Amino acid sequence: MSSKILTSELTVCYHCGEECSSDAIKLDDKLFCCEGCKLVCQILEDNDLETYYCLEDQPGISQRETRANKRFEYLEDETVIEEIVDFRNESSTTISLYIPGIHCTSCVWLLENIYKLDQGVTQSSVNFLKRELSLTFNHKQTSLRQVVELLNTIGYEPEFRLDRLDKKFKTSPDRRLWLKLGVAGFAFGNIMLFSFPDYLAGSSYDLDGAFSVFFGILNIALALPVLLFSSSEYLKSAWAAIKQGGINLDVPISLGILALFGRSLFEIATGTGTGYMDSFTGLVFFLLIGRIIQKKTFERLAFDRDYKSYLPLSVTILDSNGEESSVSVKKIREDTRMLIRNQELIPADARLLSEQCFVDYSFITGESEPVKIEENETVYAGGRVVGQSALMSATKEVSSSYLTKLWNNAVFNPASQKDKITSLADKISPHFTLTVLTVAMAAGLWWLPTGSEQSINVFTAVLIIACPCALALSTPFTLGSALNIFSRNGLYIKGIDVIESLSRVTDVVFDKTGTLTRSDQAEISFAEGQLTEKEYRMVKSVCKQSVHPLSQKIVSYLETLPLLSVDHFEEQVNKGLKANVEGKWVLIGSVSFLEEETGLYVNGQYGNEKAGSIVHVAIDDEWKGYFEMKSQYRSGITSLLKKLKTNFSTYLISGDNDQQKEELSTYFPDNSLLFNCKPQQKLDFIKELQDRDRQILMVGDGLNDAGALQQSNFGIALTDNVSSFTPSCDAILDGGALSLMDRFISFAQKSIRIIIWSFGLSLIYNIVGLSFAVTGQLSPLVAAILMPLSSISIMIFTSVTTHLTAKRMGLVAWK
Amino acid sequence: MAVETFKYDNEIVRKFGIATIFWGITGFLIGLTIALKLIYPDFLGFIPELSYGRLRPLHTNAVIFAFAGNAIFYGVYYSLPRLCKASMWSNLLSKINFWGWQAIIISAVITLPLGYNTSKEYAELEWPIDIVITIIWVIFGINMLMTIWKRREKHLYVAIWFYIATFVTVAVLHVVNSIEIPATFLKSYPVYAGVQDALVQWWYGHNAVAFFLTTPFLGIMYYFIPKAANRPIFSYRLSIVHFWSLIFLYIWAGPHHLLYTALPGWAQALGTVFSLMLIAPSWGGMLNGLLTLRGAWDRVREDPVLKFLVVGVTAYGMATFEGPMLSIGNVNAVAHYSDYIIGHVHLGALLWNGGLTFAMLYYITPKIYKTELYSAKLANVHFWFATLGAIFYVIPMYWGGITQSLMWKEFTAEGVLQYPNFLETVQQIIPMYALRAVGGTLFIIGAVISVFNLWKTAASGQFVAAEEDQAQPIIDPAAGTKEKWHRRLESRPVQFTALTLVVILIGGIVEYVPTALVDSNVPTIASVKPYTPLEVEGRDIYIAEGCNNCHSQMIRPFRSETERYGEYSKAGEFVYDHPFLWGSKRTGPDLHRQGGKYPDSWHLRHMHDPTSTSPGSIMPAYPWLLTQSMDMESIDERIAALRSVGVPYAKGYEEDALADLKAQAESIAQGLHEAGFEVVDGIQITSDKKIIALIAYLQRLGVDIKGNNNPFEGLPSSQVLGTAELERRAENN
Amino acid sequence: MLIGFSLLVALIFLGLFFWAVRSGQYDDHHTPSMRILFDENKTKSKQETSINNKKDKD
Repeated sequence: MSSKILTSELTVCYHCGEECSSDAIKLDDKLFCCEGCKLVCQILEDNDLETYYCLEDQPGISQRETRANKRFEYLEDETVIEEIVDFRNESSTTISLYIPGIHCTSCVWLLENIYKLDQGVTQSSVNFLKRELSLTFNHKQTSLRQVVELLNTIGYEPEFRLDRLDKKFKTSPDRRLWLKLGVAGFAFGNIMLFSFPDYLAGSSYDLDGAFSVFFGILNIALALPVLLFSSSEYLKSAWAAIKQGGINLDVPISLGILALFGRSLFEIATGTGTGYMDSFTGLVFFLLIGRIIQKKTFERLAFDRDYKSYLPLSVTILDSNGEESSVSVKKIREDTRMLIRNQELIPADARLLSEQCFVDYSFITGESEPVKIEENETVYAGGRVVGQSALMSATKEVSSSYLTKLWNNAVFNPASQKDKITSLADKISPHFTLTVLTVAMAAGLWWLPTGSEQSINVFTAVLIIACPCALALSTPFTLGSALNIFSRNGLYIKGIDVIESLSRVTDVVFDKTGTLTRSDQAEISFAEGQLTEKEYRMVKSVCKQSVHPLSQKIVSYLETLPLLSVDHFEEQVNKGLKANVEGKWVLIGSVSFLEEETGLYVNGQYGNEKAGSIVHVAIDDEWKGYFEMKSQYRSGITSLLKKLKTNFSTYLISGDNDQQKEELSTYFPDNSLLFNCKPQQKLDFIKELQDRDRQILMVGDGLNDAGALQQSNFGIALTDNVSSFTPSCDAILDGGALSLMDRFISFAQKSIRIIIWSFGLSLIYNIVGLSFAVTGQLSPLVAAILMPLSSISIMIFTSVTTHLTAKRMGLVAWK
Repeated sequence: MAVETFKYDNEIVRKFGIATIFWGITGFLIGLTIALKLIYPDFLGFIPELSYGRLRPLHTNAVIFAFAGNAIFYGVYYSLPRLCKASMWSNLLSKINFWGWQAIIISAVITLPLGYNTSKEYAELEWPIDIVITIIWVIFGINMLMTIWKRREKHLYVAIWFYIATFVTVAVLHVVNSIEIPATFLKSYPVYAGVQDALVQWWYGHNAVAFFLTTPFLGIMYYFIPKAANRPIFSYRLSIVHFWSLIFLYIWAGPHHLLYTALPGWAQALGTVFSLMLIAPSWGGMLNGLLTLRGAWDRVREDPVLKFLVVGVTAYGMATFEGPMLSIGNVNAVAHYSDYIIGHVHLGALLWNGGLTFAMLYYITPKIYKTELYSAKLANVHFWFATLGAIFYVIPMYWGGITQSLMWKEFTAEGVLQYPNFLETVQQIIPMYALRAVGGTLFIIGAVISVFNLWKTAASGQFVAAEEDQAQPIIDPAAGTKEKWHRRLESRPVQFTALTLVVILIGGIVEYVPTALVDSNVPTIASVKPYTPLEVEGRDIYIAEGCNNCHSQMIRPFRSETERYGEYSKAGEFVYDHPFLWGSKRTGPDLHRQGGKYPDSWHLRHMHDPTSTSPGSIMPAYPWLLTQSMDMESIDERIAALRSVGVPYAKGYEEDALADLKAQAESIAQGLHEAGFEVVDGIQITSDKKIIALIAYLQRLGVDIKGNNNPFEGLPSSQVLGTAELERRAENN
Repeated sequence: MLIGFSLLVALIFLGLFFWAVRSGQYDDHHTPSMRILFDENKTKSKQETSINNKKDKD
């Protein structure tokens, strides 16, 4: 039974656009889903910022799960401030805040007008793609804490993570690349202008001496910066490769570049010719375009997060005389007494001081149900407290906690990074280079009899024409457009260089909790009985009093129902709830609890007690039935796994108990299911497979999968909100798109095939060109036509075919 | 630092708006007038000030500089402050800009019909006005750049970049193209001659289109499309690429206007290539504009502003596709000199510039009057009038242009011209001229409707002279710590050296090129001599009457042209032509080999009444040439000026000039009288009349190359000095 | 002459290009296009909501 049916008529919140239950709040003509939204709207209107609601409809962010109780005292802690601000002087502070909440024009507008809410702010500008707000404020008039709290109250909570501290003052790296491209393009355009007459020289038009000399000088002048500045990185990387005795694609490229420039310089200087400066600059220009695409990635996604980004910046501690204060987690020492509230993370391993609490380790271990911890038991860093806030005393510092150890595993230290697969281009480039050189030599020798002049010309001509720029372009252009297509379909890949490894996958390994199932929402149903809406309300009202995870699930399931007044509430730990609602006694809990409380006998076979996800309900000593909660599978899983089974061997490695074994075994081949795996075991499992030289695609979501993701040949982190935390991986997959997995893989394979075709294409060009070169009749015109022609046609061919392929596979190819 | 409050000056915006629409309609009407004159040559009678040759420059100037010019200021003065979050730097400069510009226009309206004109297309205005233009333009530039300097929004929106590009390039173009030596207060001669003058002129001509009619309107597009559609531009990154690629390429594409003329082949060729390369960025821009509206087409259907924007951008796409095509040799061979070009430019002017301008008017007016548009319905009616008008204009021009051009080229089986008589080809397309006039009329009706609509809108609203806005000033917190740009540059030695190297080389080259161009590029032909004083006077009359608007003086190396007009033109023949008079349109036949083709008397009768010699001719009659007497006072100044720009008149020849002029005029008059043309319907033909000078000039056209004649022979000066002496003087000059 | 001037103009723009890229004008190539949409203070009553219901999520 879905909650929607229960609500009377639907109305949307003026602020956040979420549907309001019947207990919606009215403020003059506007409706609000919750006090929070109403509050924000009032603040904005009091400061005539209504424009916020004009640019977009219901632009706000729901205030239902109240952030209000968030604590930001630690932002007054000098050490913390020092760490997180970008720049600071005696009067003003500049900080860039990561605000996942930014999602529309209104957000930008409001955040850039924030000074109307806090006079202290002197400057605020948003980078929409990065979801980043860069703030400058006068810390004499206001404080970091005030600003952040303000942002928080209007629904734009900045996200502070330990790891963001490291990334400060990062200016976009591709700036220089754009500059280089600009210079190359400029020179290309202009030299083209000056050289063009020469192409026709000899034919109908003849250019008199004065001009060709003058254009010659001009061309050199323009080409020089291209050589020194624009093409520098190719030369450098080639040189580096040679020094290590290896040969990468940049070597033949650099050869070509140098040959082009040198030869042209010589010709112009000696007046024997007009040179190939146009081809030279053009070549560099196109190569740089390729390079820019190669660097492409998703600014707002972080693929290489480590555990630090999972931990909060601060924790609330209690000093000897019970005074609460919040400090940077780095200050946690042994025996620091920490107060962790509902939904807060445990930053360091600790011993529980409260008599008991529930900890949700799903993200760390994959165990889907919260575990109960008794007094003096150990709680591990990374766990999330659910229910009552818990007092605990740290046993280790953050740096030596369980969570951290996960990361000290070999796979994470850069030394033993998984060996980068040598890309197609790199693989063939040594052979290519050698062939080119031999051909060049041979041709050179062949022409030697007719004079060293000519033989040198031919030699350089070969190097020039064989310069594999088409080769260098096909990969970035194909995979670049593939990257876009993937992202349009919900798979955000780290960069184009890893797509190739996706195409080689042989085995697909899944994590369960949070991957196949959705950890956030369990599928709840009321079985073996009926409840009236009134009774649902009673149940909800009672559960509302309890912080037990199961009670909370029930509450959220009945979210839209209004509450009733409850008295005589009592909660028997680990048994159940009892309360009186409007004169009726409501009992919620385990069978045994109900039987003890009420004489009645409940047939225990109902539901599967072991799963710990069954809650019985009795009202006035009458057994009504029970809520059953089982983790919900993502849509399309069934068909996906079927499809995958045919081409790949599939596995499931879950940190969770084998509760749903039989159900899962229908999707997976026999003995390919592992339960109760520790992270390390997962990792080892992958290794094992790899030792049987399988290529592994791992799909996981939590820290518990981090190791495995890292170890696997292609690790995909699954998430329902791409900007939220994901363990380090090669790609981030939007939960909704999981069902496309099989297509993603085969699309990757097809893209690689396209590259191979384009290699063929460029080879043809090279052969044509070479035939000119070795026969010693490569005129600048031929070069100038052949070079851009090949480059451009490769660009077009690759990107068009890639898009069409995607379209044919039923993926979204264009936006 | 606290938030700052500032005001947007809507007053200046309104002023420019009114000017735009006023001059727009004026320009359109003049256009219609001359269109009618091509159908009924005697329309409005034969009054010098209203003759076709004088009104056409007025039309082009009115539309380009008065209509489009004011529209540009209109758009910039509205969008720039809003983009910079700052009021214009100086409202005074804004005012000077406005009134100065209107003054320039008015001076044009006065001088052009009076026949003061340099003959250079889109640069006809004489030197004093040129100077004023420069000053006003610079004032505009200062005002704009200072506003940008004082802005409160760190990022320069792409539109601003287009505005900057407009200012810089137009400034350079205008100055370079208007380097001229004044002879009298309203008469000057360009320093460049013949080929070089042509090259400069069309480098200017092309870039005037590129940077006066294109880049500013692209800026306007990038501002008003998102605003009107209330959604961000489709791809901002693309718009940035659009700007830079356009800028790096556009400046070069000039010479294609001279394809198949005597301009060196290499220059033409590269012009072609570069204009071809322009398709890419232009279409990038167009698509970017249109794709912005994807998913909003339902709104385009209602909203007139969007409608005009869409049709404008589409027209831009078409025109920018057409342009490069036209620069391909073979296409150009057909289209050049024909009405096709007229169609091409009007496609751009009416729909691209016109469309965007009306879109602005419909968008801004309600905004600054804080009201709604009086009637969207009327605006839509206007839209259809404008669009249909443009179509009715452009299609016939294309059709007529191609028809006529093909007729020019057609040969019979025997290998003689199918239509040896030029008039046949003219008669053929007069119906097209008529249709064109209809189209123009429709367009004007539309414009008039818009005036009414805007007027009512204004009346219904409350004008906000100064609109308030708030923003925070830009402060760079890290200021002190950042190093200056040159220090940053120096810290990268390689680049720095590279860059300086380039700059130095460029510097040297700029020094070196002019000589290179002049000396080595134009082969001089020995037999080509300077014009005699009378011919100079005749040439100036030719210019004043705007003959070059309909008659080219440039025979291209095609059989069809050499058959029709005679030997094709050589670069060397124009070395003394200040300015060049190649023309760009053949409403009448080419005149370069006119000299000696007909007797003087023929020209006399022809100028007095064209139909008397050429039945059915649509050329206006020039009776006043027979009655007005030529300007003899300033001939010495003009000779001196010409010498100073390099025409080898002997030192001190200006003293003999008048005598020579009189003598030559006398002999021509004699000849006419002997031929029995003492009186032409009641008018005494005397040697002091303009017609005599014009005849002298026409008879001189293109004869030098035929043989070693000495035009000065038999003139007093040469009687005194003898040709040899003349030559000597020429040398030591 | 012309080439000189053209080149000079072109160089001016190359310089501007350098300045623009270096000064980070183009680091953010999306937000500015949204920013120009909100200069004058609109009010709910008079403005077209019809097309901006759809929030672009990036």
